[in-house]
Amino acid sequence: MVIGSIIEVTIDGFARGLLFAILGVGITLVFGLGGILNIAIGVFAIIAVIATVVILGTTSNVLVAIVLGIGFVGLLGLGVDRTLLSQVYRSEGEERILLGIFVTLGLAIFLEGILYVYYPLSYSLSHGVPSLGILGISIRGSTQVTIITATIILGLLFIFLQQTYLGKATRTVFQDEMGAELSGIEPRRIRSLIFVLSTVIAGIAGVLYSFSRQVTVGTGFELTIFALLVAIVGGVRSLRGTALAGIFLGLVVTFANWLIGAYVAKVVLFVVAILVLTIKPEDMT
Amino acid sequence: MSAISTFIDGRSRRDYTLIGIAVVLAVLPLLLAGNLTHRWRLFTSLLIFSILAIALNIVFGHTDQLYLFLGALTGIGAYTTALSANAVGLSPWLTLPLGSLAAGLICLIVSYIAAKRRMTVILISILTLSIQLAFMEFFVGARSITGGSTGFNFSGLRIVFIENALGVSSAVVLYYLLLAVFVVILGIYTYLMRSKFGMAFNAIRQDEVAAKSRGVNVVKHKTLAGLVSGLMIGFVGPFYAQSEQYIVPGMFTFEVIDLLVLIMLILGGIRTMLGPVIGAGVLLYLNEVLLHSVLDGFSVWRTATLGLLLMFLFLYFRQGVVPFYEQTVRSKAATLIENRVKPALNRSRE
Repeated sequence: MVIGSIIEVTIDGFARGLLFAILGVGITLVFGLGGILNIAIGVFAIIAVIATVVILGTTSNVLVAIVLGIGFVGLLGLGVDRTLLSQVYRSEGEERILLGIFVTLGLAIFLEGILYVYYPLSYSLSHGVPSLGILGISIRGSTQVTIITATIILGLLFIFLQQTYLGKATRTVFQDEMGAELSGIEPRRIRSLIFVLSTVIAGIAGVLYSFSRQVTVGTGFELTIFALLVAIVGGVRSLRGTALAGIFLGLVVTFANWLIGAYVAKVVLFVVAILVLTIKPEDMT
Repeated sequence: MSAISTFIDGRSRRDYTLIGIAVVLAVLPLLLAGNLTHRWRLFTSLLIFSILAIALNIVFGHTDQLYLFLGALTGIGAYTTALSANAVGLSPWLTLPLGSLAAGLICLIVSYIAAKRRMTVILISILTLSIQLAFMEFFVGARSITGGSTGFNFSGLRIVFIENALGVSSAVVLYYLLLAVFVVILGIYTYLMRSKFGMAFNAIRQDEVAAKSRGVNVVKHKTLAGLVSGLMIGFVGPFYAQSEQYIVPGMFTFEVIDLLVLIMLILGGIRTMLGPVIGAGVLLYLNEVLLHSVLDGFSVWRTATLGLLLMFLFLYFRQGVVPFYEQTVRSKAATLIENRVKPALNRSRE
């Protein structure tokens, strides 16, 4: 029944969209706070998967391995923040934006280069959740896990930003750095926290992505592109816009995939992004 | 006064640099490459990447438009020239302008829209990166037109007549043809930047609002920069294909073209005349060393090293080799001469 297929594709698209959304939010958070466009976000996502696979060599508990893998990526993010990003934060304004782009690009390529040597294969994780059948529509386990996890993350993020002190401090730095400093908030610490948070979110996204397909080191670049497109289309400083843009683009690419085919779907995604960028660009300074 | 001395007096330092680099590049491979085709092809790569770096210099260095789709543009130039030549049955020499125009037109549109919409650097960079990826998908996916990921042979840009007349290989002829192209393009760059266009570019880059308030047409100048760069890139694309004697999508990826050209431009010195060629020379030499390294197995670390280099360059050596040389080496030499050598010479005269 065609309607059943359409519903299944919509649900899949929605799951994909939520995945794009949390990746995009990872970009928006860091850029909004410090003007650094984290091009290495995709690599962080893949490192989480690879770390989990490596840890699964010692323990057989998938959940523990995943938590440790994501934790590893968070630590890596902390290290990068303390060393590289400190250097980038020394610049200001547009110079910092350019510097951020090239330094994170160099970081992404550096990390990929190392990974290619030690972990050149493709990896995937299993979630152990069975498909669900409702009213003749079947939803895959990976789709369920993705939707639930991503929604929880977005929800937690929202609560964090709206209700907690740290979250409000973050929003203050977002809006007016000088004012935040005058209120006794240390922007540098907030930026570190948010950067680590974004790498953890990226790690989770990577793990979710690996539930439904094989990932390689090269997938990292692909995920970065998705994240960048979503963030830019949604407005690099607007979290709500990014989340919505993610869902929108996820649906677009999944439907294009279903209706036309894999390679054209990608072209469609880029064309849609290019169109949106030309018709509705934002003032990013 | 004779015409010749008037001519010589009128030449500036830039003209001598242009002539100098042309002579150096004409003679160097004769000394270093000899009969080794592989080395001639390396020198050809040097010219190709130098031209690409000059184009990026114009559009990114002078007008802040971070183009990340040089690979796609090179491919468009190559595919357009090759495919139209095949389709109509003409020599690629005749369809060469088509390839150049195709790339130029795309850049014209991109720059115009970006300037009109007042897009920022990140927006332009992500926009052009998307275009790069979209074109890569197209090159691979449109099998019936482009031959997909298998590609096809291309050796139409040869002048067999000269090869036979001088008794040299096609690699040598290609090199000197490209050298002529390089000198012309470097000349265009030099005179463009010395003209009122160059001044306008500078003004726009330093303070766009101030420039506009003084009557500088920002959109027109940015679009012009884009067009010129596009024409250059589209023109060199077919030569790139000729040097590989093959056209395949993998030749035009971001990693193979854009990444290297970016590093070369920054390494050599952005907004300088010789920066692109020096950066290209250093990086290609490094690339050769890394690829065919004596240190066993070091070549696998090539990608990681490039990433590291990019980070290091942008954090600590953003000015590049040419300005570094000008500022430190030459000024130190000049001070030395002023403070030590000249007094010593004067004393010895007394």
